[in-house]
Amino acid sequence: MQRTIEMLGIPTVVVTVEPEETAQARPPRALCPKGFVAGHSLGRPNDPELQKRILTDAFALLTGPARPGEVVTMEYGK
Amino acid sequence: MAEKTESKPLELSRYCVPFTPFKGKIEEASVCIVSTASVREKKDAPFNVEGDASYRVISGEANGSDLTYDDEHFDHACADADINCIFPIDRVRELAAEKRVGGLTERHFTMGFSMALRDLREKTIPQLAREVDRARPDIVLLTGG
Repeated sequence: MQRTIEMLGIPTVVVTVEPEETAQARPPRALCPKGFVAGHSLGRPNDPELQKRILTDAFALLTGPARPGEVVTMEYGK
Repeated sequence: MAEKTESKPLELSRYCVPFTPFKGKIEEASVCIVSTASVREKKDAPFNVEGDASYRVISGEANGSDLTYDDEHFDHACADADINCIFPIDRVRELAAEKRVGGLTERHFTMGFSMALRDLREKTIPQLAREVDRARPDIVLLTGG
């Protein structure tokens, strides 16, 4: 899906909690927030500041150095 | 036979990464959320949790409280408490209010669980990609569960 959208000329970023699976799909840009699993990939419930930090980090991959095919892992504490 | 092979359109190798550079400012960019977490508006038809290659449209006006999901594949405790854990529509809206992104597009898109890979590849994903294109986003944010 991500690759298809990117091929239409729209920049994309995926937030993933399955970095190995995502890396195999060769994503244009990907962020893995370490420690989170499916069901809360965008951060803990009712923790808007953490969720917005993860989103801001994901959007920052659009303006940072290009790392196509890589999954960037970041830590967010417990 | 050789002629037939040569006339077939070339396909992108799975080793090749399509990459569209982002031009502009994140603070001004409109964001479209595309999710595979079976999220939908409560008023819309549920996804079939056994397998469903269709997709749903979510209004950019929708709040997290207008949304639900149909899933049997991840732990639901977090998403039940706060759907932004899997579909961060309220959080992107807050980032827009804080002028850290431009805003949300008018339409967002979600898919359900499906193992019908051929249907997904040949029908759902091309249709959905065209819908995403028509939403004219500057950025697409993809989320899973």
